[in-house]
Amino acid sequence: MTRHAPSWLLVVLLAAGSAAAQEAKSTPDVKGPPPAGPKMTAQELAEWIDERFEKEYQRLSVKPAPAVDDATYLRRLYLDLQGRVPTVAQLRDFLGDQGSFKRQDYVDKLLTADARPDRYARRTSENLARVWRRMMIPASSPNAEMATQLEPWLARQFAANTPYNEFARKLMMAQPGMPARGLGGVPMPMTPADPDAEAALFQQAIGGMPENLAAAYARVFLGIRLSCAQCHDHPFTEWTQKDFWGVAAFFSGPPPMAEPGKPATEPKPPMPPPADQPLPAPTIQATGGAYENAVYTAKLLWQKEPLKELPKGQTPRQFLAEWLVGPQNPNFAATAVNRIWQYLCGRGLAGAVDELDRLTKEERGILDELSRLFVESGYDVRWLITGICKSRVYQQSLTAVDADGFAQRPLKTLLPEQVFDSLEQALSLPIAKADNGPRWSGERAQFVARMNEAAPDSPIDYKGGIPQALMLMNGKITADATSLESSRTLRAVVEAPFLPPEEKIETLYLAAVTRKPTAEELKYLLAHVQGQKDEAQQKQAYAQILWGLLNNPEFVLSR
Amino acid sequence: MKRIVQPSCVPLPNPGGDSPRFREMWSRRELLSMSLAGALGVSFSGWLPRLAAAAGASGQRHKSVILLWMNGGPSQMDTFDLKPGTPNGGTFKEIETAAPGVKISEHLPGIAKQMKDLAIIRSLSTTEGEHGLATQLMMTGYQSRSAVVRYPSLGSLMSKELGSDESDLPNFISLSPMRMVDAGFLGPNYSPLTVSGASDDPNTRANLSLEDLAPPTGRDPKAIKDQFDILRFMQQSFGATSDAAKAHQASYNKAMRMVETQARKAFALEEEKAELRDAYGRNRFGQGCLLARRLVERGVAFVEVALAGTPGTNNWDTHADNFNAVKTLSGVLDPAFASLMKDLRERGLLDSTLVVWMGEFGRTPKINPQGGRDHFPIAWSVVLGGAGIKGGQAYGKTSPDGMEVTDGKVGVADLYATIFQAVGINAAKKENISPEGRPIPLVDRKAKPIAELVS
Repeated sequence: MTRHAPSWLLVVLLAAGSAAAQEAKSTPDVKGPPPAGPKMTAQELAEWIDERFEKEYQRLSVKPAPAVDDATYLRRLYLDLQGRVPTVAQLRDFLGDQGSFKRQDYVDKLLTADARPDRYARRTSENLARVWRRMMIPASSPNAEMATQLEPWLARQFAANTPYNEFARKLMMAQPGMPARGLGGVPMPMTPADPDAEAALFQQAIGGMPENLAAAYARVFLGIRLSCAQCHDHPFTEWTQKDFWGVAAFFSGPPPMAEPGKPATEPKPPMPPPADQPLPAPTIQATGGAYENAVYTAKLLWQKEPLKELPKGQTPRQFLAEWLVGPQNPNFAATAVNRIWQYLCGRGLAGAVDELDRLTKEERGILDELSRLFVESGYDVRWLITGICKSRVYQQSLTAVDADGFAQRPLKTLLPEQVFDSLEQALSLPIAKADNGPRWSGERAQFVARMNEAAPDSPIDYKGGIPQALMLMNGKITADATSLESSRTLRAVVEAPFLPPEEKIETLYLAAVTRKPTAEELKYLLAHVQGQKDEAQQKQAYAQILWGLLNNPEFVLSR
Repeated sequence: MKRIVQPSCVPLPNPGGDSPRFREMWSRRELLSMSLAGALGVSFSGWLPRLAAAAGASGQRHKSVILLWMNGGPSQMDTFDLKPGTPNGGTFKEIETAAPGVKISEHLPGIAKQMKDLAIIRSLSTTEGEHGLATQLMMTGYQSRSAVVRYPSLGSLMSKELGSDESDLPNFISLSPMRMVDAGFLGPNYSPLTVSGASDDPNTRANLSLEDLAPPTGRDPKAIKDQFDILRFMQQSFGATSDAAKAHQASYNKAMRMVETQARKAFALEEEKAELRDAYGRNRFGQGCLLARRLVERGVAFVEVALAGTPGTNNWDTHADNFNAVKTLSGVLDPAFASLMKDLRERGLLDSTLVVWMGEFGRTPKINPQGGRDHFPIAWSVVLGGAGIKGGQAYGKTSPDGMEVTDGKVGVADLYATIFQAVGINAAKKENISPEGRPIPLVDRKAKPIAELVS
């Protein structure tokens, strides 16, 4: 094991996979509706997660890595929920707090406390909206820019804690009320009567055609890459062209799509299905591939035969939506849980989040159990996030050495917006519109665009290249931040007459990487400061330390 | 009616193009960077390494490759394998070239003059007809649809074989407005530096400059050195135990070296004579080819330059109005490709530089009702020239209707073997080890170089 840090996950998978992986990748058990019971609290969920993993560790004879210290925990929590690092004051408060449940309490605070000026809950919703938008429409896709306009709607869903099945249903059924704002075009007045009309932006951003919609909904909500089966039967999984086009057929009718950036023709409401008689199953003509123009009939995944007709009173899309989010669907809840787990812990709870179909039943063990709890909770996203963040599993440290047999957490790469927002926080950049701070002057947009050129597909990858490095090294934001004339943070630290050099360095560390320097770091950096020939040079030395902190891997990677 | 736009056939950005505004921007930016370079020249002159260092320690110049990538799939029937006077032939005429008996399109007169150093392969036959999969195939030499590993691109393979860890510039530079295939399992050390990023904004990335290469004004070389020392200490303190940390470190190490050397002024196109810049063509692709020469001159092992569009045409994906589009694209391609060959020869770089011209597939001989040609991988052309290539010939033949290869059929692996052979690498005998420990040969072991093209 040299390449991958052997996370508990990998350990679990390797051990479980040996015999079971050879089993046919059979259809997962289709389970009936879950038994109704009293809902677990989030704290009980955290305990359930820890007990479940404890059992797994024992079975596999591995040791969990020890829990992280308070500073690291707070940094994780802020980055994961608020999308930025904590301030030095927030960190000092937390470190000074003697409460024994302070970590758990902080999770609740960041998810639900919404009083001014911090507006924690709102920031968390906005951050989760960005994460979800990036998952749904990756930065490398053609309409990624347009997709950012989906964020306000997503943020409202997270703020209202819309049940996840309801959330998916809305994304499936949304009707574009008014044309969306075009790519870089003039903003159009958007006053849709339907509060969920904006959700249609998702369909527009992925291109509106049945085949795009089929591939996108299957990936986003079912964790499967169906698109390979568009032109040929899938080489590794069971999917055939019948599966792909069978799903696409559901999208072959209304709702009408507005072309991105162009005013829609009259928004036509879909034809209401006749209430008294069933519609015939829709069909679609394939494009591309060896079976160009073959006609396929609507068919649900994991079912052998195409549909004959739709139930009375349902449009094809309604029928598909209900099947997609229904408790019988083996992948819907599991994909939601796997994605949330991946965002918070770095790797999916089982396998790659977009390749759930390549796992055996054994490999899906814990994932399926947790998914069942998620269904029982009423698809409660906030409950799930709270439970995970309060668990000991979430708090596991990265172990310093690549030690086999340790269940540990991987490093995570910050999203582009999280890097900028952390810079803003660490550097006390002006954030009000009146100050014309970088958030408003277009600098943030430019910064994020450059980072997007190298945005990774998975939280544990870092893809930044030379242009991204050069921007952080020499770009305007860093230049201002490390200039004694223009940097607030730097001046505050350097000019403070009462602070000894050790504490100046410490403050820069707290602001940038949310921790105190180690003894070795302090020694090296103190020597650098004290080795300067005069006071002016010493001040420059602090600027260089801050520059180093903003550019060191720890700034853009979450421990 | 057949739908023209395929599902995965997304329109590619055409950043900047040749609009008057873009030209104006270009010259303004040039002035700006000249004055910046002047200002920096003072502070950096002391530790700018010698330009002559392009030759390695042995004094022997290593081989380089320039890939001219024709995004969208160029029509072989209207460039290098014409069938005039036949039902599929279209409207273009053939012209004689510097190589007796080898004829090409009338819209490529400059390239025709360089034909003694170029070899056309007219008998390439491949298996992918969809842009994404075909791009993967042509840029890696392997079919990706049944892949068990993420194959590295040609540039990554070449930068590993030909490049040096000690070079001041990255070994692989991509001048392309869109993301190309990356290093695959070879990882961040062999990833390209992409100079023209994804931005559509001519103010940012359209003009082939590398932004933020210069440190902020007022930082003297000692301050930069101190910063870098501190950063290196912090990198070490953080450790590189995970892939993410390693990738971060690799990118930063390259970036720091580029700042220290100011990329040896490779990107300062304003150093070139105006006439030469005009000759290449004052557009992204033309200037990209000129920049490619400057990079190769400074020892960069692999440079790819994409011709991804001209004003008024998206790229070579000419499903409609093929002839007007190809004529326009030829007008950009011809002066750039021809000037590059001439320039490399005059500077004594042609013997060590292989130039590869290709796209992801060819186009259907049959002309569709929209006057376009569709995707066609069965029989199409690529062009090789320079280092190790016996120029002045057209290898292989297609049938009179262009529908099939009748002589000298080669696949992508044979093409790759030929490319590697031309720069002195016996690819079938070399391999890389994937992270899972699988040996992956540079090209399929069954591949054979085309003997007529390489010795």
